[in-house]
Amino acid sequence: MIPRTRHIQEARLFEVYVAERTGEPVQPPVAEHLADCEACGRRYTELVAFMDTLRREGDAEADAVFNASRLRAQQQQIAHRVALVGRPARVISFPGRIVRRTITASAARTAPRWIAAAAAAGLFIGVAVGASYQFRWGGPPRARQAFVVRDGASARASRVTAIPVRSTGPADMAADEAFLSDLEIALDRPRTRELQAFDELTPHVREIRDR
Amino acid sequence: MNGDLRTASDNDAGTGPGADPLEPGEAGVQPGAPARRAVAPLSEDSRLAIDIRGLVERGEMDEARERFGALVEIHQRRASRIAYQYLRDAADADEVVQDAFVKVFSRITSYRETWPFEVWFTRILINGCLDRRKARRRRDRWFVGAEITSADEAGVAASAPAADPEHRLLARERRATIAAAIDRLDGRQRTVFMLCHYGDCTPREVSVMTGLKESTVRVHLFRAARKLRHLLGGKP
Repeated sequence: MIPRTRHIQEARLFEVYVAERTGEPVQPPVAEHLADCEACGRRYTELVAFMDTLRREGDAEADAVFNASRLRAQQQQIAHRVALVGRPARVISFPGRIVRRTITASAARTAPRWIAAAAAAGLFIGVAVGASYQFRWGGPPRARQAFVVRDGASARASRVTAIPVRSTGPADMAADEAFLSDLEIALDRPRTRELQAFDELTPHVREIRDR
Repeated sequence: MNGDLRTASDNDAGTGPGADPLEPGEAGVQPGAPARRAVAPLSEDSRLAIDIRGLVERGEMDEARERFGALVEIHQRRASRIAYQYLRDAADADEVVQDAFVKVFSRITSYRETWPFEVWFTRILINGCLDRRKARRRRDRWFVGAEITSADEAGVAASAPAADPEHRLLARERRATIAAAIDRLDGRQRTVFMLCHYGDCTPREVSVMTGLKESTVRVHLFRAARKLRHLLGGKP
């Protein structure tokens, strides 16, 4: 018999809750005390309310997520997966159709290769014929001018020299003269101080002519 | 202490081929643990499981599959609740439940009527949940995951169309608080609390599942409840 002055400990109170839930018998003295002691009865009621709320909230949340339709879908999914249990694994056939298609595709690519080769040969012949034609009959006037840049040991030694490749008619000569004059005038008046040193290194047309 | 129901001797219990998660000795049930033998008459699900086992052994697979559907129906809701409370993710819980049922069917020949089917099945389910939690923890090191998926939100919202938004919001906050509090429980305390409170298992059944003494299970359960009351201020 539990004396009235001593209340039920929390652990014992919880045991009563578990016992009631699982259908186990509750110790008679504890049951008597709970019935008689108002404070313990209130504590027990609070405990039950707390645990029930936890349970109710948890179940409600889970049931909301796993509603009837979801459970049905899950059931079907399980049935589908169970149907595959114990059956031999399916052997996937070798993808013959894909191979055939690949072979056909590679065969189809053979024709464009010949076309490309023929086009390349045609281009080569065209360039060769064009070059020989130009060699015999002369090309456009600008092609006859070439500038050779010779690299020296240092930047100071570098020179840019205009070398006439072929001399042709007087009209061309005049055009060349005009171009060189323009260049000379431009170089005669260096506006930038940094270019003056460079200008000194560069031979002027008149100097060449004087030589 | 992560609450894993497997011991060193049954590292693959419930997952490995031919493993009987609840066979004494194999399952790592401690010597002092109470041996719950089938003294009471077999429950409906246990009888059904035995029938299915017989059908599978005789090679009557179609009939076995058909009967298995009834077994799924009996345990599906409870399994989903446990898995959801454990994982807090609908998709993960769904997969774990499916995996557990498929595993049960493929290993049904190793089921023994010594233990109630519910205990055997729950153990497989919980081990699946624990595996999933571990995998998620590994994954969360690299990815940021949402606590509540949009699908869950949609499901919860659709379930209470009559409730006003304020009520829904309050309920959601309350549930999130409870979930956070449960998540702060120690691994074994959480497992025991989940099984007893959401899985409707008795401390004796939980002791069989976990290999813990029944008195230890009761202590864990009490401590879990006390901690939750403390964390939630007595009122959830």
